[in-house]
Amino acid sequence: MSQPVVKITNLNLKYQHKPVLQDLNWTIKGDEHWLLCGESGSGKTSLAKAISGLTHSYGNIEITFNQERELPPLVYYVANWFQFKDLEGQSNFYYQQRYNKQSAETTATVKTELESFGKKHALPIDALDTILAALGFSEQKDATLIQLSSGEHKKLQLVKSLWLKPQLLILDLPYNGLDSTSRRNLNTLLEEIAKAGTQLILISNETEVPDCINRFAMIKEGQLVEIAGHERNLKGTKSVNRPVPAFLTDAVSLRPSGEIIKMIDVTISYGEKKVLKNINWEVNAGEKWVLHGHNGSGKSTLLSLICGDHPQAYANNFHLFGNKRGSGESIWEIKERIGLISPELHWYFDPSATVWQSVVSGFYDSSGLFCDPGYSKKSQTDELISYFGLDEYKNTLMNELPLGKQRLALLARTIIKNPEILILDEPCQGLDQQQTEHFNRLVDDLCKNGTTLIYVGHFDAQIPSCIEKRILLENGEVKSIETDIYTN
Amino acid sequence: MSNYFNTLPLREQLNQLGVCDFMDSGEFLDGVNVLKGKKLVIVGCGAQGLNQGLNLRDSGLDVSYTLRKEAIEGKRDSWKNATENNFTVGTYEELIPSADVVVNLTPDKQHTAVVNAIMPLMKQGATLLYSHGFNIVEEGMQIRKDITVIMVAPKCPGSEVRAEYVRGFGVPTLIAVHPENNPEGKGLAQAKAYCVGTGGHRAGVLRSSFVAEVKSDLMGEQTILCGLLQTGSILSFDKMIEKGIDAGYASKLVQYGVEVITEALKHGGVTGMMDRLSNPAKIKAFEVSEELKDIMRPLFQKHQDDIMSGEFSRVMMEDWANGDKNLLAWRAATGETAFEKTPAGDVKIAEQEYFDNYTLMVAFVRAGVELAFETMVQAGIKPESAYYESLHETPLIANTIARKKLFEMNRVISDTAEYGCYLFDQACKPLLKDFMTKVDTDLVGKNFNEGKDGGVDNQSLIAINEALRTHQVETIGAKLRKAMTAMKSIKTA
Ligand SMILES: NC(=O)c1ccc[n+]([C@@H]2O[C@H](COP(=O)([O-])OP(=O)(O)OC[C@H]3O[C@@H](n4cnc5c(N)ncnc54)[C@H](OP(=O)(O)O)[C@@H]3O)[C@@H](O)[C@H]2O)c1
Repeated sequence: MSQPVVKITNLNLKYQHKPVLQDLNWTIKGDEHWLLCGESGSGKTSLAKAISGLTHSYGNIEITFNQERELPPLVYYVANWFQFKDLEGQSNFYYQQRYNKQSAETTATVKTELESFGKKHALPIDALDTILAALGFSEQKDATLIQLSSGEHKKLQLVKSLWLKPQLLILDLPYNGLDSTSRRNLNTLLEEIAKAGTQLILISNETEVPDCINRFAMIKEGQLVEIAGHERNLKGTKSVNRPVPAFLTDAVSLRPSGEIIKMIDVTISYGEKKVLKNINWEVNAGEKWVLHGHNGSGKSTLLSLICGDHPQAYANNFHLFGNKRGSGESIWEIKERIGLISPELHWYFDPSATVWQSVVSGFYDSSGLFCDPGYSKKSQTDELISYFGLDEYKNTLMNELPLGKQRLALLARTIIKNPEILILDEPCQGLDQQQTEHFNRLVDDLCKNGTTLIYVGHFDAQIPSCIEKRILLENGEVKSIETDIYTN
Repeated sequence: MSNYFNTLPLREQLNQLGVCDFMDSGEFLDGVNVLKGKKLVIVGCGAQGLNQGLNLRDSGLDVSYTLRKEAIEGKRDSWKNATENNFTVGTYEELIPSADVVVNLTPDKQHTAVVNAIMPLMKQGATLLYSHGFNIVEEGMQIRKDITVIMVAPKCPGSEVRAEYVRGFGVPTLIAVHPENNPEGKGLAQAKAYCVGTGGHRAGVLRSSFVAEVKSDLMGEQTILCGLLQTGSILSFDKMIEKGIDAGYASKLVQYGVEVITEALKHGGVTGMMDRLSNPAKIKAFEVSEELKDIMRPLFQKHQDDIMSGEFSRVMMEDWANGDKNLLAWRAATGETAFEKTPAGDVKIAEQEYFDNYTLMVAFVRAGVELAFETMVQAGIKPESAYYESLHETPLIANTIARKKLFEMNRVISDTAEYGCYLFDQACKPLLKDFMTKVDTDLVGKNFNEGKDGGVDNQSLIAINEALRTHQVETIGAKLRKAMTAMKSIKTA
C-alpha cells in the first residue's frame, strides 16, 4: 500500500504573473494524509488547484488511482470559497438579498441541490442523512441557497465531498465558519472516510485536525517543506509592528454615551420558521461584547438588524442610537456609525473593485467607490494600506488576490472611518495565526477610545482581550447574557 | 380621453420633447427632506413597486402599499411581497385618502382603470407619481387639477434598483413634472426627493418631460432593445442550422452571445464593443452594419413616425380592447421558433469566442443602436434621452435573453414593449430576407478570423475607427457613463 498515489515533479506555477510554485516536488504515498499549513498567500491553494486540474501549471503531476477500489477514482477539491447560481444560471446576488423576501424563489433548495449532485455521481441517498445530522445540517434541507449563511454554505460543500468519498480529497480551509461542535464532528467524519480509503490533503492552520493526519508540510519560497507535527503552531518570525496610523488614534471625536442598542422581544420569522425569538438585549456605548452561538443560531440575522440590512427591523420594537427603527432614519445614517465585516459581506463584495477602492469605500459604506474622496481621505487610505502591508496590491482587483489578502483589505475598510461601533463577525477568517493576533491587538487599541465592540468568533483564543461581556444564542433564542466575563 | 401630445400646438410639442437636462449632483443636497414625514402609498407591489418601496423606506420615508381587493383577499404574490417585508397593506379606501403621495406602479395597461379608481379617494393637493408616462401622454388621462403629477422613472429593472441601492449606489433615473398638473409648483422638489429615496441621484439624473420620456422609451424598446435583439437572434439561429452548425452550440451562442457582446457596450460604448473584434472582423462588421442601417432605416423611421403621431398607441390599444388578439398570437409564434425550442448545448464557449463567432450580432447591435439613436434625435428627442433609451438599456435587455431566451425578455419587459417588439419583428424579418441569404458561417457560427491572415488596410481601419468614435451616441455616452462608472458588471454563466 505504499505506492505513490500522487507524484509531483518540478511543478511551476504563476499567479498574476508572479511565480508561486517553483520546481516543487511532492510524493504522496498510499497510507498518507497530509496537512498543508503556513502563511496566507504562500501557494497552498494554487498547489491544491494544480493537483485537482483546476489551474494551469508546468511540470509533472501523476496521479495513480486504485482501480480495484469501490471509491470513485477522482480528486475532489473543496474550495475555500463557495459559489452558487440561481435557477437561471446566474450569480448576480447582493448582500442583503437573503433578507428581502421575494415571493418567487430564485435559487434551488439545499435538498434539490444535493439530489442533483447525488444523481450526477450515482450516490446512495440513504448515506446522506447521517452526514447531514453529524454536521447539524438536517434542518436546512428546505432552505434555499440564498438563505444560507457562509458557515452553512461551507457545510453544504463538505456534505457533498463526504458523501462522494473520492479516492483523493483536498479540503481548503474546511473549518472556516464552522462552530466548534461541527468542527469536531467534521474531524470524526474525515477519520471515517479515511479509514474507508479516502486520502486527505487538508489545508488549514487549525490546531484540531483529524487524528489520521500523519504528514505535515508548508510551502516556503515556492517549495514544499516537510515539518514535524508539533512545529506547525510555532510562530513565524515575520512579526510586523508598524505603528497604528495616527488618524485612527488621535483626535477621536467624543464618543456618545448611553444606550446604543435596545431590543425588546425582537422576533424574526420567514413564513412559519422563526430565526430569532423574543430577543431582549441592550448594549451601551463603549461596551465590548462577544456574540457566541452555533451555526444557524441566528447570529448573522441579529447583526443584520443592527446594521440596517434587515427589512423586518421595521416590524420590531427595536431601538438604535436612542431612536426606534422606522422613525424616519435612513440606513445610511446608521451605517455611517458602524464598521462592519462579516463572511457574507466579503462574499458579496464587489469583486471588480481594486484594493484601494475597496478600502476607501469604507468611508461611504458602499461596495465599490462612487465618488471622489478628496485629498485627506485619499492619503488616509494610502496610510492604512501600508499599515496592512498591502502597498504592492493597491491597484490589484480584489478577485485576483488570495483570500487572506482580500480579507486584510476588507478589514482596513472596516476600520478606516474609526467608527463608533465595530461589528466584527469572524473578522479573521482566512488569516493565519499571526495576522489574527495582530489584528486583535489593533482592535484592542482602537477600542481604548470608547468604541463599542460586538465580536463574533468561534474560538476564545481568537478573541481580542478587551472583551468583557458575552451573549450566547441558541436556536434563535438568548441562552445567556454574561456581563463580566474575562475581566478577572 | 385623447392623446395628450396630439392636443398640443407644435410649439408646445417641441418644447416638451426638448426638456432634457442632465442634473448636477448639487441639486440633490436637500436629500429626501421634502418627503420626510409624508405618507407615500404605492399602488401595486410588483417588480418596481416592491424594490422602490424597500429603498424609500430604507431612506427614512413612510411607505405603505395599497392593492386591489382581489390581491389582498387572494393573498397573491403582490400581497406576500409587501407583508412579508413588513409593510402595511390596505385597500384603496383604507390608505389612499390619507396619502400625500400616491405612487402608481401597476402595469401600464391597467393605469386608466387604476387611476379612475384611486383619484376620487385622493385628498386635495396630493401628488400622483408614475414611473412611466404612457397613461398621461398616449391615453391623455386627465388628472384633477389640485393634484400634482410627477414622474420618477428608473432606467433599470426593479431588481437592479434594489441591488444598486444597497451597495451604496443607484440606477440612472429620469424625472419629470407634468406641466398640466403642477398647481403648487412643488412637483420638481418632490420628484428630486423621491429620486434620492430610491438612490437614483448617485447614478445620474436626467430632467425630462412626460412626453420626451414616453416617445423615446417606446421607440427604444420596440426597435433596438427588444425588436432587433429578437429578430437578430432568430435569424442568426436559423442561419446556423441551415449551414449545419450543431443546434446546441447555435442555441448557446445566441442565448448568451448577445449578453456578452452588449456587456462591452456598457463599459465602452459601440467603440468598446467593436474593439473586441480583430481588425479584419471589425472592418467586416462595420461594412455589414452600414448595409443593415441602410436596409432598416425606413423601418426605424416608420416606428418613430407612428409613435409621434399616436398611431402606434391607437393600434395597440385597439388590440387591448380586442382581448390582446394580436399580442397573444405573436407571443405564441415566438414560443414556436426553433431558437426558443432548442435548449442550449452543454458546450463551453469562451468569452472572446462569443465575439469571434458571432460577428453578425455585433453588426446588428451597432446598426440598431446607432439607427435608434439617430432616428430619435432627428425626431426632436434630445441626445441624452436618446442615449438612455438605446445604448444604455441594451445590455440590460440582453441579460433577460441570457436568462431564459426570448420568452423571458418578453415576460419581463412592459406590455407596450412586448407589443412593439413583435410589431417590429414581424416587419423586420422579411426586410432582411435578401441580406440573410448572403450571410455565411464566417459571420455567425464559426471564427471569422479562421483562415485569414489578419492583415488590413491602414487607411480603411483609421477611417472606420474615426467613424465609430465620433458618432454622437459615443460622445454623449462617454459623458453620461462617467456619471455611472461604477455600474456593476453582470456575471454570466
Ligand atoms: N419593469 C421595468 O423594468 C420598469 C422600469 C421602469 C419603469 N417601469 C414602470 O413601472 C410600472 C410598474 O411596472 P412593473 O414592471 O413593476 O409591473 P409588475 O411587476 O407587473 O407589477 C404590477 C403590480 O400591479 C398590480 N396590478 C396589476 N394589475 C392591477 C390592477 N388592475 N389594479 C391594481 N393593481 C394591479 C400587480 O399586483 P396584483 O396583480 O397581485 O394585483 C403587481 O403588484 C409601469 O408603469 C412600468 O412602465 C417598469
